[in-house]
Amino acid sequence: MLIKRTHGRSERHGSIAESLAGQAGGLDRRTFLRKSGLAGGALAALGTMPIGSVRKAEAATTGPLTAGATVRKSICTHCSVGCTVTAEVLNGVWIGQEPSWESPINRGSHCAKGASVRELVHSERRLRYPMKLVDGQWTRVSWDAAINEIGDKLLGVREKSGPESVYWLGSAKMTNEGAYLFRKLGAFWGTNNTDHQARICHSTTVTGVANTWGYGAMTNSYNDIRNAKTQVVLGGNPAEAHPVSLQHLLEGKELQKANFIVIDPRLTRTAAHATEYVRMRPGTDIPVLYGMMWHILQNGWEDKEFIRQRVYGFDDLRKEVEKWTPDEVERVTGIPGEQLKRVAKMFATEKPATLIWAMGQTQKTVGTANVRASCIALLMTGNVGKAGAGANIFRGHDNVQGATDVGLDIVTLPFYYGLAEGAWKHWSRVWEVDYEYLKSRFDSKQMMETPGIPLTRWFEAVTLPKDQVAQKDNVRAVFVQGHASNSITRIPESLNGLKALELLVIADPHPTTWASLAVEAGRKDGVYILPVATQFECKGSRVASNRSLQWGEQIVKPIFESKDDLEVIYLMAKKFGFADQMFKNIKVENNLPEAEDVLREMNRGSWSTGYCGQSPERLKAHMKNQAKFDMLTMRAPKDDPEVGGDYYGLPWPCWGSPEVKHPGTPLLYNTNLHVMDGGGTFRPRFGLEREEKLPDGTTRKVSLLADGSYSLGSAIQDGYPEFTLASLKKLGWNTELTEAEMATINKINPANPDAVSWSLDLSGGIQRVALAHGCVPYGNGKARMNAFGLPDPIPVHREPIYTPRVDLIAKYPTLPDAKQFRVPNIGFSVQKTAVEKGIAKQFPLILSSGRLVEYEGGGEETRTNPWLAELQQDMFIEINPADAAERGVKDGGWVWVTGAENNSRARMKALVTERIGKGVAWMPFHFGGWFAGKDLRGNYPKGTDPIVLGESANTITSYGYDPATGMQEAKVTLCQIAAA
Amino acid sequence: MARMKFLCDADRCIECNACVTACKNEHEVPWGINRRRVVTINDGKPGERSVSMACMHCTDAPCAAVCPVNCFYTTADGVVLHSKDLCIGCGYCFYACPFGAPQYPKVGNFGSRGKMDKCTYCAGGPEADGSKEEYEKYGANRLAEGKLPLCAEMCSTKSLLAGDGEIIAQIYKERVMKRGYGSGAWGWKTAYRETIES
Amino acid sequence: MASFARFVRLAVGAWALLLLIGAAPVPVSAQQVNPTASSVHEQQLLQELDRIQGRVSIPDQRSSVLVQPQGREWREFHNVTLRWIGGVAIIGMLAVIVIYYLARGMVRLESGRSGRTIVRFNVFERFVHWMTAVCFIILALSGLNITFGRPLLLPLIGLEAFSEWSQWAKYAHNYLSFPFTIGVVLIFLMWIAGNIPNKADVEWARRGGGLIGHDHPPAYRFNAGQKAIYWIVVIGGGLVAASGYVLMFPFYTTGIEGMQIAQIVHAIVAVLFIAVMLAHIYIGTIGMEGAFEAMGSGEVDVNWAREHHSLWLDEEMARTGPNDTQPQPRHAASAAQ
Repeated sequence: MLIKRTHGRSERHGSIAESLAGQAGGLDRRTFLRKSGLAGGALAALGTMPIGSVRKAEAATTGPLTAGATVRKSICTHCSVGCTVTAEVLNGVWIGQEPSWESPINRGSHCAKGASVRELVHSERRLRYPMKLVDGQWTRVSWDAAINEIGDKLLGVREKSGPESVYWLGSAKMTNEGAYLFRKLGAFWGTNNTDHQARICHSTTVTGVANTWGYGAMTNSYNDIRNAKTQVVLGGNPAEAHPVSLQHLLEGKELQKANFIVIDPRLTRTAAHATEYVRMRPGTDIPVLYGMMWHILQNGWEDKEFIRQRVYGFDDLRKEVEKWTPDEVERVTGIPGEQLKRVAKMFATEKPATLIWAMGQTQKTVGTANVRASCIALLMTGNVGKAGAGANIFRGHDNVQGATDVGLDIVTLPFYYGLAEGAWKHWSRVWEVDYEYLKSRFDSKQMMETPGIPLTRWFEAVTLPKDQVAQKDNVRAVFVQGHASNSITRIPESLNGLKALELLVIADPHPTTWASLAVEAGRKDGVYILPVATQFECKGSRVASNRSLQWGEQIVKPIFESKDDLEVIYLMAKKFGFADQMFKNIKVENNLPEAEDVLREMNRGSWSTGYCGQSPERLKAHMKNQAKFDMLTMRAPKDDPEVGGDYYGLPWPCWGSPEVKHPGTPLLYNTNLHVMDGGGTFRPRFGLEREEKLPDGTTRKVSLLADGSYSLGSAIQDGYPEFTLASLKKLGWNTELTEAEMATINKINPANPDAVSWSLDLSGGIQRVALAHGCVPYGNGKARMNAFGLPDPIPVHREPIYTPRVDLIAKYPTLPDAKQFRVPNIGFSVQKTAVEKGIAKQFPLILSSGRLVEYEGGGEETRTNPWLAELQQDMFIEINPADAAERGVKDGGWVWVTGAENNSRARMKALVTERIGKGVAWMPFHFGGWFAGKDLRGNYPKGTDPIVLGESANTITSYGYDPATGMQEAKVTLCQIAAA
Repeated sequence: MARMKFLCDADRCIECNACVTACKNEHEVPWGINRRRVVTINDGKPGERSVSMACMHCTDAPCAAVCPVNCFYTTADGVVLHSKDLCIGCGYCFYACPFGAPQYPKVGNFGSRGKMDKCTYCAGGPEADGSKEEYEKYGANRLAEGKLPLCAEMCSTKSLLAGDGEIIAQIYKERVMKRGYGSGAWGWKTAYRETIES
Repeated sequence: MASFARFVRLAVGAWALLLLIGAAPVPVSAQQVNPTASSVHEQQLLQELDRIQGRVSIPDQRSSVLVQPQGREWREFHNVTLRWIGGVAIIGMLAVIVIYYLARGMVRLESGRSGRTIVRFNVFERFVHWMTAVCFIILALSGLNITFGRPLLLPLIGLEAFSEWSQWAKYAHNYLSFPFTIGVVLIFLMWIAGNIPNKADVEWARRGGGLIGHDHPPAYRFNAGQKAIYWIVVIGGGLVAASGYVLMFPFYTTGIEGMQIAQIVHAIVAVLFIAVMLAHIYIGTIGMEGAFEAMGSGEVDVNWAREHHSLWLDEEMARTGPNDTQPQPRHAASAAQ
């Protein structure tokens, strides 16, 4: 017996009937329900017991207060885990939240944010009506007037400076439908200056990972981490950023007795549960990974067969890894060789092993290279495409994966088609608008095919001399719908941009720091605020980090005068005069486009990414049948009439039309499954072969197709290229296409139908036939360790622009200055100047940033929620006790933090803690509403100021942009701290 | 009858504060009153553990013993509740409570205490189950609806367990057996005079 | 004592820990940091320290105490010890008084009333005395209610009525603490001059204050017994006031442990105070003929003064001269005679 008792309570061992017999008044039903509620609550909560054997509370009777309430389900808007929110609604008021037991993802759980989302909707401090800044005063205007005035001003900018001078900043908070329409709005307006939070979140992941093996997304899922024998978290703190994911991580750790390794500069709440914690110097992810790989290669722990069959460029990589001897790794990262060897051994030999990361790897000037190195480590050990393995990349926002997929981005049209003529033609066919019309909307065909400006550089696009911005004119107007300004680095400089703009439109449930900083910048007019509904007041699909799509119902109608994102987009399109074209195939009622119709349009054009099978009907069926999906495999029983055999949320790619009934792909690149069961291969996306120079000066051609590896049941038992009509013909499978399918194919490219590929074929025929033969439509290629085409094809360590280790800069300098995404990237000059000026001496502490569990993103929404705000009332900076003692800084005392650029300074409280190592400081990035010690509460429209304000971490952050994506450097800069 | 208890498995708790906001949400608990809170011991050091704590609904509850006006009562489920109509806000329960559970709204006179407020195990108060009066004074009565406390139901990592003491002890015991470690059922010895060996 | 025991426990724990560390085999790799394995344990923490405290993000730092089992000791004090102390002190004192009264009866004016009076306490002094006294009685009753009301009064009047009464009693207790405290301060200042112990007190005490027999040891304005009351009021009153305010303004000055100690001090001092005051009230009323007048009208019979405060009377006489202080015949008193 493990239980020791001092007081035995034998009566509880009796039957329910017995225990009821002694009850006066016969509270039988109530007692019984309580007991069953107990089963539902406590036992279902237990991962170690089979769920099937546990009784749930039978649709527990609701009390008199909630009697008659309707239950609606939506998805939490605070991170990418994708927790289902179960709402009780009575008379149009959201009166309560219940645990969502049926969701296979959160299984009833929430974090602080998820458990308090109800307050967001009914918040007293939300924007109630549109406002504009008149002579420095916030003044109420009507929606009609606002849309008219904004529209006229934007058209004026367009007239004068061209369409590229309007910056369309969308949001990962939007549904897929909203984000997609926002991107489409940009396309119809005539610019690729359309971006959203992925830029500052995982743009480097998308680029780096896609360039490695095809798609830039989490390969497995939160749930699948339960299968891992070794979990390595490098550059993430999911306990605070994705708390519900920890349910899967920790239960996996317990059930598998798994190694749980956290490599981080901070002993985070995640690290507190690690079995091995490794403290590293911020900004040295690549040396850490190479250090591990050095041991792996040294000891022959690599997966040779996997590398031979499925990996390209191993020899090139080996050369780089060999440079990273344990001594050099320790010199650069601070990690002793023995410790790293132990970690490397676990990672390579106790398999399956997964690598988990978030913004610790991505938000850096070397972000793309970081994630590439991570992928390479997985490839080297054969830890991709298997249950319990993979790159488990934890995305940030609830729909940042979706908003990225639907192309709310500067480098591509929806679903990663790119910006080339073929992509535009594809989408003009899907949208049924004339390609020439779309072209006419742009300044030129060249601009139409040129990537836009990253949102990280928006203020420079406003303030740089005109000749340094590679478009017709500077950015003159910013239309921001659902994006924080305080999550963008270099706030002091952004004030210049805010001042110089002709027009700023903020469409959001809250005024955000765009409003308070615009007033601080000295603006007296030219700012509009439009109240937009929260996502709980909108319906539509969202994509969790694991690529599952979930349909959220509208919980309550938009509050006050706020409007659905979709309606705002429609009203703008209408004002611009292209609503009829843009919404040609989408039903619009009372100015509100129907979300289901928008999704259907996406289904019709999204073959490249396999968003084609997720019809609104299928997604709704999944939400209705959530309980049927297995928690571990996420699959429903095959015999279920509605969702039989499907994986929860039809994780993309979900090939073919909805009628094909592809179940979705829970694990990418998994050759152990048939493609119709979610199997797959690496995507050959970078040519079929590559010419390599040999040491003797000769060249050889190396195939980029897989070698002897293929997904289960494939008719082609080797590597193969993507499917086109031509390749079907070669295989003799073209005869399986129906007449209607052939007609569509012929219509797509009448001149050369053979060139029509799986991703352009709007009939879905080519995909259908490939799938029927067990083949993956995109082909079967090798993943690339050498990602030729990227700035660093083999990842190379480069010291952060501002590093305390100036001694390492000569050996590991940042990349030379260049022009990227229409603007200059002068990182090299900045680094050089910093060294010359001795910045590292004046600012000796490394400054990093990250998340708190209570807040999200820029934090205005969550800091407005009293239930959350009460838990974190002050902006703070973490500092090691030794550093604090040197500076006379006390725990809880006020300090001034000064930064390396712009004479930046910020006042906040000190949190003296051993979480952080000596020489490093850390700030949460969710605060805003203060600037350089000044409280900006008065700058918000009356009654809309968040409860908690504080200095933004980005007041102190500094220059640094990833050359491949324009990602900002938010994780490593320098600072100094002094007691205030 | 069931004997309801709380158990926080500190090897699962990540201080996500879901329990705290779930409580605020379910009962509309005002600013400044924290029926539940999460405390992190040895913060930032290896071995750091966070523990979610609220009223433990003690066996032979000290609050009830010292209350000068006898406003506490224990339900058949072992839940320790009190009557705000009887409470005089003297603060004695707070002196006696080992877990810092009683909370007092600051009202009127020189920051002194109003009627005591604390975790009700989502079981309301003496008023009729599910009545408006009960909700306004004590918050929702989930137990009467056959549901368990929302804090435990919404716990992100299933760290906080609520339910019959024997069952949750069994769950915890199995976890400890399976994984091979456990930092103890925090507060159990003080609240229930029993421990679960780990 | 308790804190010393705690210190010993802590020291022993620390040594044990050191020994353990010393005895443990050297780890295979000194660099390994395994937060899972090194996790803190509740029992171990409770053995080492008397409470478990950590970090919370909310500003309310009292919530950072996770477990403080001392509440149990306080509960024992409040529910058992205090009731014994209070019961013994108050009932014991009442018993002593009753027995004394039965045995001795009222202490009479042996020389009878002279008909002439002398001012003993002026209007201000009497105001201060009665203000403090009235506050004290209400504070005492409302205070005793907190400790003894539940077993004694509650069963008689029921939960609702008792709670209602206790609520008002609490308000009265809180609010009247202010005039009471002011009274104590004024008493301290007002009568400090006459309450410095001197040689006469030694004699007075040696002769038992005349409690037994018919002795009248000489005394100045205040005899040693009254001085004792004075100092009990000043020190005891100061203590109950200070400890009371610590409880009334929670967490302004101290944490929960401090408040537990404050409550213990408050309660013990208060019940002893009450017991002493019972004696004071007895002597000032039915215990001694002519004494009440001192705080009643403020004037005492010269004979009373001669018997009980001969040295004071001499002083007064010497200071003012017999002619100036020819007290008026007290008609009312004469009539009563």
